Amino acid sequence: MNPPTASTSATVRAVRRAGARGRLGWGRRARKPQDSYYPTWFAGGALALYLLLVLLPGLLGIGLAFTNWTAYTTKLHWTGVANFHALFAPHSFFVIAMENTLLFTVATVVLKTVIALGLAVLLTSGLKRLASLYRAIIFLPNLLPYVAVGIVFKSLLDPTTGLVNSTLRTLALGGLARNWLGDIHLALWSVIGVDTWKGVGYIMVIMIAGLLGIPRELYESASCDGASGWQSFRYITLPMLKPVFAVTTVINLVYALRVFDIVYVLTSGGPGYATATVYTTIFSQVGLGQYGVATAFSSLFLIVMLALSFVVIRVLHRPELQS
Amino acid sequence: MKFNRRRLALTLLVAVAVTALATTSAAGAAKSGGLPKGNYTLTVFADQDWVRPPELALAKKFKQQTGITVKYDIIPDSSYQQVLTTKLNSGQEPGDIYMGQPPGGTGSGLQTTFSVLKHAVDLSKQPWVSREFANARALATYKGKLWGQTIWDTVSGSWIIVYNKADFATAGITSLPRTFSQFTADCAALKAKGINPIYEPISDGWHQVLWFAENMSKAADESSGLVANLNNNKATFAGTPLAVTALTQIHSLYQSGYFGPTSLTDTFANTVPNMSSGKYAMTVNTVTLPTQINAADPSIPTTNYGFMPVPILNNQYVNQNPGGPTKFVYRQGKHVAGAEEYLDFLAEPANLNYQIARSTSFVTLDFNGVKSKWTPAEAAFVKAYKPNPQPVMQVSVNYVNPQWSQIGTDMAAMFTGQLSPTAVLQNIDDRRKQEAQAARDPHWR
Repeated sequence: MNPPTASTSATVRAVRRAGARGRLGWGRRARKPQDSYYPTWFAGGALALYLLLVLLPGLLGIGLAFTNWTAYTTKLHWTGVANFHALFAPHSFFVIAMENTLLFTVATVVLKTVIALGLAVLLTSGLKRLASLYRAIIFLPNLLPYVAVGIVFKSLLDPTTGLVNSTLRTLALGGLARNWLGDIHLALWSVIGVDTWKGVGYIMVIMIAGLLGIPRELYESASCDGASGWQSFRYITLPMLKPVFAVTTVINLVYALRVFDIVYVLTSGGPGYATATVYTTIFSQVGLGQYGVATAFSSLFLIVMLALSFVVIRVLHRPELQS
Repeated sequence: MKFNRRRLALTLLVAVAVTALATTSAAGAAKSGGLPKGNYTLTVFADQDWVRPPELALAKKFKQQTGITVKYDIIPDSSYQQVLTTKLNSGQEPGDIYMGQPPGGTGSGLQTTFSVLKHAVDLSKQPWVSREFANARALATYKGKLWGQTIWDTVSGSWIIVYNKADFATAGITSLPRTFSQFTADCAALKAKGINPIYEPISDGWHQVLWFAENMSKAADESSGLVANLNNNKATFAGTPLAVTALTQIHSLYQSGYFGPTSLTDTFANTVPNMSSGKYAMTVNTVTLPTQINAADPSIPTTNYGFMPVPILNNQYVNQNPGGPTKFVYRQGKHVAGAEEYLDFLAEPANLNYQIARSTSFVTLDFNGVKSKWTPAEAAFVKAYKPNPQPVMQVSVNYVNPQWSQIGTDMAAMFTGQLSPTAVLQNIDDRRKQEAQAARDPHWR
């Protein structure tokens, strides 16, 4: 390629200046087309609604965390960090709730991602017959309401009459029968298991879409170069699915950090506080009329959620490979 | 043209029909003196354990008489109180009638728990008020007004231990325990014979609190001024040695395995099948449990079971609780007059006797002039043991009943080693302080 000449450089500079001033051609002022404003108007309207109905109440809510707001308050007073202080009092269970929530989050994110990826690979590259039927069956639990799933599994996991333990005893595996929702060491993992069962289908569908978007030529080239199945998976599939992982991880993360329904129906946060999560604890405080404390906890947790989401997106995001 | 004529004809037809309907309704309303007759639904918001089948049958009878449909919105035990207070605190209508257990104490708990001044209707002038027991009325009274109606068996409704006589005989227990140490010895004997000593449904979150709150009346009886000091903020639960002893004794029952292997997931609703199976020897319930078991399985006679006081703190009293689930009329509801009419209907003598006759869990009701149905065993038990001169703690001490489910959760945490008995008591004190300050109780300033 030849280096630019002085005249070429001058032309480039002239074009740049013309562009900066909106001039195109000789003696004609360029005007920005009216069409280019339409996206701004539409986005602006949606943004205004979002600011008014979501962001502003959220910020006001954070402000209420510094007041004496309860169900019985007639006049609000500034109380500083008293509500936040209550969260870390010696017998407060907010720390336990936070720990349970983080454990639930990590476990469900990992389990749903790994299992969903495995199922997605199986249904795109493995099974050919009836793959669509299997996809539909695996996706079905995602359509069920959380309350219905919770009630059913509460019955299934009953230590005396539940189907799980009854089946184990019938198969002479009674030694494996447990008090799935009543053992403080198992209860949270049982809830994680139920939630993973329900949510894995949704993530699988997203993974399938990602897998089908990977160009086949990459695998063919790799095959020609003598790459094994595992090497193709490791050096082609996984890197190409990174944007999909970013999406599914954020989806799983935001859901898991805010989990409430499945925990409340299965265990109500028990036994004791073994499965208490952030939002069951906040609900408990609202039930007691302690709105300020509940708001303080949710505000604190908002910061945790934002930080985690930011880290996940930064770590997993990278520009897509050019085809 | 044809299309316009058809449109016009249809519009006129609809207008005539609407006018006719409106005229008929107005005439009907005028005829009944302004009260809309029937044609609407009253909703009663209730805990699953507070509505008996005879009451549901009475609701159908009420509809036949008035045309008003009564629909019961039943909420599970474990979440009822939380859902109710969340609805009331956030301004959502729970129903035309909502139920609750009066918190007792000095009455301010009615306001902090059920927002009676804002959400309930004053029932002081209702025709049935004079027939209701005075001590039951007192618990639903605040600032001189009666806010709720309690139709409950507050006489035989004391929580005591119901035991299986055959299981006791198998374990060689020949006399009833009178102290806690005798009680634990009997539990050990039962366990040695492969019988679970006690059916304790911890999962619902409220039953285990009975062991503590009901028997703290024994502590109140032994410690003069305890109740007054607790209400005046001159004493705390954590600083009351008998409270620590009571919780430690209850904790020891769980630690020794006397509550059975599945107590953390057992539910109150399964008490009858579990007690009738013989797998469990005892449970905390009312004297009507054998009647309920017999109703479920007529081959099991009521005489298979006996009664004794709960021997925490060596208690030998029958604990007294004049309160019971109470119905409040929601002031902001659309059918206040209909709700009052329904309460009046339920309190009619014939309907009270109907409930007593057909309910396996009522021996009598807290209204004068009803026909009680004591069995010989029930009457003998009530005669054999003295009533505690102190009412149960959830009635006499402020800010205990509103945190009942939280105490239950803390006790479950205590059983599983997450909390010590002293920590449970400190949490009770902390929550009492929170609610007292919210209620602007002068003793907590």
